[in-house]
Amino acid sequence: MDRVLEDFVTALRLAGVRISVAETLDACSAAALVGYGNRLLLKDSLGAALAKSGREKDLFSDTFDRFFCEFPCTAVVPERGNDAPGDAPLPEDPLSRMLLQGDQASLAAALQEAARAAGIRAIRLPTQRSLYTVRILNALGLEGLDGTIRTFSGAGSGVSLAQADALQAARQELVDNVRQYVEQQLDLYGRGLVNEYLEDALRKTRLSHLEQRHFEKMGELIRRLVKRLNDIHSRRRKAARRGHLDFKRTLRHNIPYGGFLFDPKWKQRKLNRPDVLVICDISRSMMRLVRFFLLFLYGLNEEILRIRTFVFCSNLIDVSDVFERYPVEVAVDRLQQGTGLPIVMGLTDYARSLKDFRMQYMDIVTRRTTVLFLGDARNNNSDPDAHVLRDIYQRCKRLVWLNPEPRSFWGTGDSEMKRFLPYCHTVRECNTLDHLERVIGSILAATRH
Amino acid sequence: MNDDRQNRIASWEAVQQGFRGTGYIADRTIATTVYLAWHLGKPILVEGPAGVGKTELAKTAAAFLDLQLIRLQCYEGLDEAKALYEWKYGKQLLYTQLLKDKLDEIVSRDNGFSAAIDKLYKYDDIFFSRHFLEPRPLLKALESPDGAVLLVDEIDKADEEFEAFLLEILSDYQVSIPEIGTVAAVSRPFVFLTSNNTRELSEALKRRCLHLFIPYPDAGLERRIVRSRVPDLPDRLEKQLVSFIQEIRTLDLKKAPSISETIDWARVVVLLHAERLTSEFVRETLHVFLKYQDDVHTVEERMPQLTSLLLRNEGG
Repeated sequence: MDRVLEDFVTALRLAGVRISVAETLDACSAAALVGYGNRLLLKDSLGAALAKSGREKDLFSDTFDRFFCEFPCTAVVPERGNDAPGDAPLPEDPLSRMLLQGDQASLAAALQEAARAAGIRAIRLPTQRSLYTVRILNALGLEGLDGTIRTFSGAGSGVSLAQADALQAARQELVDNVRQYVEQQLDLYGRGLVNEYLEDALRKTRLSHLEQRHFEKMGELIRRLVKRLNDIHSRRRKAARRGHLDFKRTLRHNIPYGGFLFDPKWKQRKLNRPDVLVICDISRSMMRLVRFFLLFLYGLNEEILRIRTFVFCSNLIDVSDVFERYPVEVAVDRLQQGTGLPIVMGLTDYARSLKDFRMQYMDIVTRRTTVLFLGDARNNNSDPDAHVLRDIYQRCKRLVWLNPEPRSFWGTGDSEMKRFLPYCHTVRECNTLDHLERVIGSILAATRH
Repeated sequence: MNDDRQNRIASWEAVQQGFRGTGYIADRTIATTVYLAWHLGKPILVEGPAGVGKTELAKTAAAFLDLQLIRLQCYEGLDEAKALYEWKYGKQLLYTQLLKDKLDEIVSRDNGFSAAIDKLYKYDDIFFSRHFLEPRPLLKALESPDGAVLLVDEIDKADEEFEAFLLEILSDYQVSIPEIGTVAAVSRPFVFLTSNNTRELSEALKRRCLHLFIPYPDAGLERRIVRSRVPDLPDRLEKQLVSFIQEIRTLDLKKAPSISETIDWARVVVLLHAERLTSEFVRETLHVFLKYQDDVHTVEERMPQLTSLLLRNEGG
């Protein structure tokens, strides 16, 4: 029975449930303990051992129902009334025999066996359907059946001819059955791969070209990437916190107790939490990128990163409090619609926005601040006053400019990128999820010393 | 004693029966998971919204199996010193001070500096022995001779670092104390971890546990729970009350009322000797099961529809 579990685990993995070998072993012992007799009990037990989150529970339940369902084989010669040729000899070939006897149960079992022999577990792509159908049919013994049909029709007697016709019909039905079976198995094993392809493609697609229907998937992808970054960096922060005995402080602290040292004090290293200041251009051309960027950034653990966010179009405003008040998704939506925000969504004006920033917020830029500037630097043919950026550049620790346009487009048309270039520490082209991950990873790593 | 326990937990039905005896109504999933976890020797990770009886499950298991319950409440900043063991530094230092004369004596008998160090070296293990070890919940659970139910409550509130630290205990039921060595469990504790899902737990932790998700109960189950917890509540009121709560859960609330709140409300109803649930009565006691002012407003706005539901249920 363990082979069944193995297949089931494969199907689950392909459906997107992450299962380790240890968990498979747990599932085996759980199944051994409760047995296969009670379907619901088995489902509960395997569910406890294999699916470890709400999402996985749903996937599990769905896959369980599809995996442990009986496949009905309808391809049998229908029993006829009195005119049934009871005296006709049963053929040698087992498949024809099963069909003629109307033995659905054995037929279903034979189908399962044939499918296993044909290696149906390996089916992944819709184009493999015919291949597996043929393989299973061969393993079932289609050739024998064809032989029987030929013999019957060759025999010439009325009874045999009727038998041959009936078998021919059953054969058609059988082929149909096997096709459906393969379809079902493809649904079971093939889904995961499609998912994988999709994820891979999504990571490399330009964010501005992304379709609305993939947004949910993107959210999920971002959550996974963010979790990884969180894991990597929070561990390091914690490691830095462990202290040693601070002897000087212990002595000082224990002086009132007559020099008896019984209240030890510990050395504490101050943690370095990077200060990040984000300035985003939220004109229509930039909104998609900004959306995903902020989803990414605000997903990061608060302990790793301290963020203040400013957005601009025709003028610049501080939106940090929007992110404090609402969950990230809601906050990003509010930015997109501009609800309750004093922002003018006219022509993008870099000069005005930069000056706004210098006027009101220059004092929060310190030597520890990393400034992230998201913009395409398209200023509608007016002077961008790039020297204001220089003031920020000189005050901050690091200024990173992320531009969604490819490098070759910088400086063409109304792009003023070339004039901003001298005042940036780092400039990156950034328009896919892969880029985003790399950029944010490097920010976290660089601000860590 | 041990055989007795094995008998008590011989099947999932037995678990369900036994839990009912202690007043905890467990559905099939819960009973099966507890049964499996006991026999496979695995910890259970219990997830679900607040107040559906996650902590209660561990308490019930302890009562049912007649084991000591050791509880570790997690919070941000919890570390090994609070969870596992701590050296009694103060005591150590105090002892060195008090034993100063003794130490002088030991040291002064030898003249050479290195001889004195050698002498001291022989004694220094004394200060890192069991006398100076303060066992915290995890170590207590491992050392309890009869086995114990260890409840690690709200693991999601602790830091990720602590989660990693738990792994050794959860998979091998042992811990390493550098100065003493590895301490293995005398008798394997039955471990429950609960989480409210404020953050995603690590894969490694999940891998080591059986996973149990307790959702809000359906009406039938909830009625049985209320009946078992608040037996004084008249049957008619109980039906009304549960269907009302069930209806409220479908609204868009900050914090939907969970089982514990239903029970609280049922107790209030009994205490105030309410004859029936009128809309005034509900309005006055909304605060019992709604914890945010916004939620109270939302429900008050919907009061007419909800009350008509009450009336319908009263008729039926």
